[in-house]
Amino acid sequence: MKKEDTVKLISSEGMEFVIDKEAAMVSQTIRNMLTSPGGFAEAEHGVVTFPEINAVILEKICQYFYWSLQYSRGKETDDSLSFVIRGFSFVAESTPDWCSCLRGSVYVVLHCMVAYLQISCVIVLT
Amino acid sequence: MSAQKKKAFQIEAFKHRVVVDPKYAEKTWKILEHAIHEIYNHNASGLSFEELYRNAYNMVLHKFGEKLYSGLVTTMTSHLKAISSSIEAAQGGLFLDELNRKWAEHNKAMQMIRDILMYMDRTFIPNTHKTPVHELGLNLWRDVVIHSSAVQTRLQAILLENVRRERSGEVIDRGLMRSISKMLMDLGPSVYQDDFEKHFLEVSADFYRLESQDFIESCDCGEYLKKAERRLNEEIERVSHYLDAKSEVKITNVVEKEMIENHMHRLVQMENSGLVNMIVDEKYEDLGRMYCLFRRVPNGLVLVRDVMTSYIRDTGKQLVTDPERLKDPVDFVQHLLDLKDKYDKIITSAFSNDKTFQNALNSSFEYFMNLNSRSPEFISLFVDDKLRKGLRGVTEEDVELVLDKVMMLFRYLQEKDVFEKYYKQHLAKRLLSGKTVSEDAERSLIVKLKTECGYQFTSKLEGMFTDMKTSQDTMQGFSARHGADIADGPMLSVQVLTTGSWPTQPITTCNLPAEIRGMCEKFRNYYLGTHTGRRLSWQTNMGTADLKATFGKGQKHELNVSTYQMCVLMLFNNADRLSYKEIEQPTEIPASDLKRCLQSLACVKGKNVLRKEPMSKDIADTDTFLFNDKFTSKFFKVKIGTVAAQRESEPENQETRQRVEEDRKPQIEAAIVRIMKARRVLDHNNIVAEVTKQLQSRFLPNPVVIKKRIESLIEREFLERDKGDRKLYRYLA
Repeated sequence: MKKEDTVKLISSEGMEFVIDKEAAMVSQTIRNMLTSPGGFAEAEHGVVTFPEINAVILEKICQYFYWSLQYSRGKETDDSLSFVIRGFSFVAESTPDWCSCLRGSVYVVLHCMVAYLQISCVIVLT
Repeated sequence: MSAQKKKAFQIEAFKHRVVVDPKYAEKTWKILEHAIHEIYNHNASGLSFEELYRNAYNMVLHKFGEKLYSGLVTTMTSHLKAISSSIEAAQGGLFLDELNRKWAEHNKAMQMIRDILMYMDRTFIPNTHKTPVHELGLNLWRDVVIHSSAVQTRLQAILLENVRRERSGEVIDRGLMRSISKMLMDLGPSVYQDDFEKHFLEVSADFYRLESQDFIESCDCGEYLKKAERRLNEEIERVSHYLDAKSEVKITNVVEKEMIENHMHRLVQMENSGLVNMIVDEKYEDLGRMYCLFRRVPNGLVLVRDVMTSYIRDTGKQLVTDPERLKDPVDFVQHLLDLKDKYDKIITSAFSNDKTFQNALNSSFEYFMNLNSRSPEFISLFVDDKLRKGLRGVTEEDVELVLDKVMMLFRYLQEKDVFEKYYKQHLAKRLLSGKTVSEDAERSLIVKLKTECGYQFTSKLEGMFTDMKTSQDTMQGFSARHGADIADGPMLSVQVLTTGSWPTQPITTCNLPAEIRGMCEKFRNYYLGTHTGRRLSWQTNMGTADLKATFGKGQKHELNVSTYQMCVLMLFNNADRLSYKEIEQPTEIPASDLKRCLQSLACVKGKNVLRKEPMSKDIADTDTFLFNDKFTSKFFKVKIGTVAAQRESEPENQETRQRVEEDRKPQIEAAIVRIMKARRVLDHNNIVAEVTKQLQSRFLPNPVVIKKRIESLIEREFLERDKGDRKLYRYLA
């Protein structure tokens, strides 16, 4: 992977995840971070730090990004919550005992993805 | 995982650990406020998007959205006030530039701010029905910057000044104008319209009002139209380059009104260069331009059409009432055709074949052609000329072209039955003298007339052709039968004409010479032998004869003469000199015909096979005629016949007119009866209207005549008047 095509996501513990920009931009928030004019630090250095997201969750989120890209390539996706949930379930099940590692409920993670990271068009309100 | 999925679906918010801090909202806001300042001061690089986004997200999540939003409004407003001042401070030409630059910067800042406040934009704002961030940015820009009184007036003035400069030929920065124009549009259509477009249109109207006044005093029509067209195109181009597309129709309306509509009449009527002059001089380009421009204004084309129509009517009327022109019918009709061609060309090439103009032309021609009651006769004479000699050697296609053009004129005639009468006469002469250039052309014209007027119109004409063909067959049979006996006598060629089909001729007396008489009897017997129950009468006034004559020095010539002339000349076989009376008695030819026939034999230079004493032009009862020994001619065959169709003399014309009127009476009566039979009861005015409608394809019936016919029908008990209402009529079965 070329450096220009990648972005580094850093979790709260400092664990670094280097993934394709294309994958990262499944999140509208990350997309804005990297494309907003004005020279924000993230776009300058290609590094995004998430002080509030731990590595365990961030890892799954990155996996979700790739699942979403792969699944939506050439197909019509409806960007809906059910799609996100399906993808996330798939991703979560790929690691046995993942849930037990979780601090906080799975659904909080979903909220993070959907509302905070703007991974789907549907925003769930609290 | 699957077990958890079956739970009722609830999502808890992804909230971040938040220290329960009473000053939490204030602190967080400060971070964001600082960021907004930095953004407006072009200092944003190095800021962490994630941090700002997270803080805004948290504020909204913890119910501090209101504080965030109002803080945003306040901060932006104060920044925009500063920007507004800096724009106001810009000098002269730099004002627009500064405004444009600051606008671009503002848009960039807006985008950054919206991105970091996106969570608020997508949740808090819709919920509370507040203005979204992007729109808020536009509204604040509009209210604080654009509508600040100093900026507003200056902006408007500079924009209009630029347009004015460009109109007077200066080059301006179009790119900058486009950006500003786009900015106004982005702020809302009403901003563009109220702050700019409205004033632009007003100022333009004043500008063009003055300019058009100036032009109209100094230019002729063609030049003026060129200038108007140029200005119109300029405005269209201006809009496409730096104004909103919707302004195009508005500004073109202004130009059209000021430059064209307000001066319409003056332009069209302009002396020496107006519409009529353009038509006369065939200025197609100018006419085309006038058409395109006038089409854009209400009633523009109506005006052009009306002026053209009255011009055509006037010149047409002059043409048909000019006695000089009327002397030569063929030339007259050719003139009409040329005129029609000229106008057709104008309408096709300059008026884009506009149907309404075509119709106006047609109605004008119809109007003036029917002002002269001899038009039908003249058209028939024209056709006669063409079919006799004019179309000799012309290709089939060109023949069709000429005939189609003639048909066009024919359609304009109101008195088509008059044409029919003359056409029959002229056709009869052509057929009988064998003088038609092309039988195909004759038939082609008959077909066209049939298509136009129906079978009734041409059935008799076709009958004439049939008679000619049948006669040929009859002659063949006659020669076969009597071949031997008639071999050494004069050669006879007979056409048997069916009475109904041919023009009626009065029966005239004429004694045929002995040599001919015998032959004629033989034919009569032959014919009546094969066709019982028919009656034959010789039409001596329609025949021709070829005579072989030998003159003084032995020159032989073949003379082509009419039957009457043959009778006269044969007398000179037995005498060299005869008085008028000595000719009149034996031949018994009626006086007027005889005089005419003698005139062509004795008084026409180059054809005077007889000499007359005295040598006067007219024939008197006391004249004497001598065989002209000294007759010479370049040609072997000399044509002396007077059979060609000519323009009728006045008395002849009157006579034909009368016959036509007589023929019309039964047609009118038939129409009345048809109508009354269908309607049973009808009032006078309606009958007149219906009769006119039914007959108008043949002629225009005179209401007075219709009235007389009705009365005649009442007398003959076809109709009766209603007892109560004198204007009402009833059909009597």
